[in-house]
Amino acid sequence: MLPTFLGALVEQALNQIVCLSPKLRHALAPLKLKTLVIHIRDWQQQIGLVYSGKHFHLFLNYQEKGDCWVSADFNTLTSLQDPSRLTQLIRQNKLDLEGDIHLAQGFSNAFSELEIDWAEHISTYLGDAPAQQLIDSLNATSIRAKHHAQTLSAMASQLCQDELRITIHPLELSQFTAHTRELTHRVNSLEQRINALLNIKE
Amino acid sequence: MTEKQNDTTHFGYKTVAADEKAGLVANVFHSVAAKYDIMNDMMSMGIHRLWKRQTIASSGVRAGHSVLDLAGGTGDLTAKFSELVGENGKVVLGDINDSMLKVGREKLRNRGLVSNIEYIQMNAEALPFPDNTFDVITIAFGLRNVTDKDKALRSMFRVLKPGGRLLVLEFSKPEHEALSKAYDFYSFNILPTMGQLIANDAESYRYLAESIRMHPDQDTLKGMMLEAGFEQVTYQNMTGGIVALHRGFKY
Repeated sequence: MLPTFLGALVEQALNQIVCLSPKLRHALAPLKLKTLVIHIRDWQQQIGLVYSGKHFHLFLNYQEKGDCWVSADFNTLTSLQDPSRLTQLIRQNKLDLEGDIHLAQGFSNAFSELEIDWAEHISTYLGDAPAQQLIDSLNATSIRAKHHAQTLSAMASQLCQDELRITIHPLELSQFTAHTRELTHRVNSLEQRINALLNIKE
Repeated sequence: MTEKQNDTTHFGYKTVAADEKAGLVANVFHSVAAKYDIMNDMMSMGIHRLWKRQTIASSGVRAGHSVLDLAGGTGDLTAKFSELVGENGKVVLGDINDSMLKVGREKLRNRGLVSNIEYIQMNAEALPFPDNTFDVITIAFGLRNVTDKDKALRSMFRVLKPGGRLLVLEFSKPEHEALSKAYDFYSFNILPTMGQLIANDAESYRYLAESIRMHPDQDTLKGMMLEAGFEQVTYQNMTGGIVALHRGFKY
């Protein structure tokens, strides 16, 4: 029952997003009543997603194939926003796709263009000016937080590499990789030479 | 397979004349109709919504389908099906009890669901439809109240289209002994008290607990569905077997 419960929560969240973004509703209109089925290989879970024109319906443990069936690892699915990668992923056996490919692309495009005017929605409770100010401050805080996080991350990397010497510098890593590759290459040549010598002896 | 013996049947733990059961069940549901939804939420702690979600996920319902929601009561499944079949599809909400149908109709109309739903008072044992009418039939928490379950299953089989499926969501037998004991305590002690407090009707909820115990277990119901003609019959236990979802196809 836990997957069903989680499915219900995600469905609620999606429907909340649809309420908040009229643009998304417009983008989803051509996909109405078509079923996208996503098989997440590493979770061994199949999810059915239908947009009815008013609401999303999301089902976990979905057993049908739907109008479009996509099967991939979770990480591959998150990289599907770029439709040009589809063919490459299918060739690499990282993605299986059956049915209407435009349906999967339609859902992907609709969500990638998602824009929610938070100030507009919050203004109902706070008024226009305070809502705009709140959103501006939150945006500014978010940018500052990202900047601080980047600085901290760089400092931590430097500390680990230069002061504590518990990790290596990326250049050292690439040098090590190059050496390893060279060594592998030499071992392979040596193996071939030994095999050739053994063949002559026989 | 049937519970009918010498024209008698079970009404909870009581044995009554077969032709009396429908009337007795009707009285129970006339009594609880107004508080049916709130009682469902209270009794199951909201889990009945998850059981119903899983039923819809297993239905394979699609745009344009015809769906019969038998014993549909206050229309929880019908509401979802109505959205999923779209304008070109149709959902029939069927119930033997007109009080339940009235509550269901009012609830769904208040939610703006009007265009593709029909409300029909009907007996599951003699469905008033031509052969091969529906793509999907569901009966959620209704089969145990039917007097002649085999006859009802045969009737459902008749009106189902070839390729269509029947889903029976019903209370069943818990898989583990400990859960079974806790569930018995809850059913026979807490449930009637809740019924008394919320719906002012302890007796109907005592009947509910008794009727669940008298209902066929998972494998028996599966056998009954196979006997009625359904193929590829499977069941899925939910919440430790307190509820089971049976699914069968007509080919």
